[in-house]
Amino acid sequence: MPNIPYRDILIGARQEAFRMRHFFVGVEHLFIALLEIRGSLTAKLMQEYGLAPEYVIDAIRRKMGKGSKQRLWAGIPNTPRVKVLENIAYDIALEAGRDEVYERDLLVAMLDERDSVPLRVIYALGITDFDVLRNMAQNYTINSETQQTYVKVDFGTGFNRDEMLNKDQLFVLRRMFADYPQIRVEHRLTGGYSQATLLVVTPIRPDQQEDATVAVKIHQVDSILDEAQRYESHVKAKLPPMTARIEDKPTAPDSSDLAGIKYTLITQDNQPPRDLRAILNEWEAGKLSQWLKETFFPTFGRMWWSQNREFRFQVWREYDWLLPPILTLELVKDKPLPPNAYVLRMPVKRAKLNRLDFGDMVAVENFVVQKVYAERHAIQLAVGQGTDSASAYKIEIRGIDFNTDTYYRGEVVENIIGTVWQTRGQQLMNAVRALIPDFDAHNEKIPVNVDGLEKVPNPILMYEGLLDSFVNGTSATIHGDLHPGNIMIGPKESAFLIDFAHTREGHTIFDWATLEISLLNDYIMPYAGESWNDARRVIGYLQKLNGGEIPADIPEPLNSHIAVLRSLRDIVRKCLANENQWSEYYIALTFCSLRALTWETVSLAGRRLMVLVGGLSIHELRTRFRPSDDNTEDTEDTYRSF
Amino acid sequence: MKLNVMIMSGFEDGATLTYDPSQGDGQQRGEIWQISIGRKEENDLCLRNDTYVSRLHANIIWKNSRWWLEDCDSTNGTFIENATNFFDDQPIKGTIGIEEEQLFRVGRTWLRIQVIE
Repeated sequence: MPNIPYRDILIGARQEAFRMRHFFVGVEHLFIALLEIRGSLTAKLMQEYGLAPEYVIDAIRRKMGKGSKQRLWAGIPNTPRVKVLENIAYDIALEAGRDEVYERDLLVAMLDERDSVPLRVIYALGITDFDVLRNMAQNYTINSETQQTYVKVDFGTGFNRDEMLNKDQLFVLRRMFADYPQIRVEHRLTGGYSQATLLVVTPIRPDQQEDATVAVKIHQVDSILDEAQRYESHVKAKLPPMTARIEDKPTAPDSSDLAGIKYTLITQDNQPPRDLRAILNEWEAGKLSQWLKETFFPTFGRMWWSQNREFRFQVWREYDWLLPPILTLELVKDKPLPPNAYVLRMPVKRAKLNRLDFGDMVAVENFVVQKVYAERHAIQLAVGQGTDSASAYKIEIRGIDFNTDTYYRGEVVENIIGTVWQTRGQQLMNAVRALIPDFDAHNEKIPVNVDGLEKVPNPILMYEGLLDSFVNGTSATIHGDLHPGNIMIGPKESAFLIDFAHTREGHTIFDWATLEISLLNDYIMPYAGESWNDARRVIGYLQKLNGGEIPADIPEPLNSHIAVLRSLRDIVRKCLANENQWSEYYIALTFCSLRALTWETVSLAGRRLMVLVGGLSIHELRTRFRPSDDNTEDTEDTYRSF
Repeated sequence: MKLNVMIMSGFEDGATLTYDPSQGDGQQRGEIWQISIGRKEENDLCLRNDTYVSRLHANIIWKNSRWWLEDCDSTNGTFIENATNFFDDQPIKGTIGIEEEQLFRVGRTWLRIQVIE
């Protein structure tokens, strides 16, 4: 869309100023107006830097914050800086022999002036050379037709054609490889928590030469751009020399809600790399154990898990985010809050939350917007800064009309009112009911009756008390989503990791609990059977394992697969804050199993096991791994409430 | 020495105010020179359009041959930019040293100082 006149931009800027309750037009509103115009020069330039317009808009809004409802002046005046910009832009237009200011003039004027809020924001997002950007702004040609070059997409023999890529995914994929005439999608990598699409792709040059295979992740634009930022700040400097890296800027076309990112891989003999999940059943269990202990852990451990520092934290801070939203509310607008309504603010009093029922009125105060689901008319709020993946106390609010109300990620919502649609307890209970339990799901104990273990606590009724207890653990750089689908095997069986969307400083042991839960689902349960009693038998083996015993009489291949778990526990032992103080691990296992319980991608057998693993972990915390009597003052209040 | 304070965001974004001690701007006590910032008209720098600014919010101080920024127990705080997270501004407690060209925020309004001879 070439030659957008200034007066049209100003209309968009006024609307933005109004939505943000600023009631003046500043450079930030002009810049957002430019980004909101599909196909504008400004939007195109941001994409050249791998930034989606919506992402930049969110960042600017976040930096500015919303204004207060009261207006202190009439009309929507321009700021002094906008007046300066207008003068520069008019001069540029005049020099070009025009008497009308266009988008390009305004953008060049902003880049000449340099002191405005939006330029500070894009600087923080990684565009640091304004001379280069100014040059591009001056010389960039916009074609009115979308110039999507045609990239032929082939599929390798390893690609399952029953799960074809959809139109949007293919669009992003073609954009990512626009420099190539052809690519071959070798196979899918099995995703994990994020539900992103992960592919192994070989680009092919015009002379049919194949370039190095890369892993590609396609996901919601916000998640991809956050991951790119996270990679820059947390991951880049802490990677071993041979591993997957993100080298290109992400690709975020403005006509799609999806974006893509590439991880470079090192391959051998042009064999596409494979993930550990694909290899689980090829390798012998002994080899797998050895690889985890002697290759995988040392490769990343040196910079990640072994660089751990003492970290005492309250469980909810690290683990609440794994659970479903504490509340799902239906938005109520323009209605006064009844005097007896529940007000949810920090510190959250969960006991009261549990007494809420469908239709009760709730006010939420000073929670932060984490996600905006435009297509579902919903937002997700949580406690904690910005978009940290470990933010506690998620609340989902439905029924939002985004035409009248703007919400942006990172916004602190001072007050929002809704009626209860579902509580966390109800959602967890529904997840258990879906598994057709052969016991009463409302009972505090679940019968097990294996090897002297009669019952385990019902985790969905018993996890609450754990959230308030304290853990004496350690923190380190963790991957945040460590499952076999994200672990890659490179040349000479070297270890790679991909998917850094949840990488952060966090509880060291979390990665290993995540991996154990994945192995239970992918590596143990498929060989154990699907019934509740099959799951109970596995629980019997796990209880022995927890006690350091080698369970006898396990049929193969389960026996050797459980031996892999034993090796995993050897790694965990190295990561424990205090020798043989396993309580921090059982806390992690409890919450990781509750998370997997709510995933529909986990098999029925796996989810049944998850209920019992949660129960067994709480059982271990109550019996075997309670802190000993010679507690230091530090540990005294641990589990007091539990 | 004269001091320029440029408003870097909000309603008055882009406005520059100049303070000259020889003209009686600010308060001078010996070697110490102080410019007050707040929502009330009596302040040297009055931010009347930012409801997040306290009546007396902060002081810019010249002392021991350098610039200082003091938060006067304001309700919504005085902030500087956070080097590690652009979106998580760092609140200041008491008085801290600031440099020319460094941005700081009073209520919702970003400011920047610059010395002109």
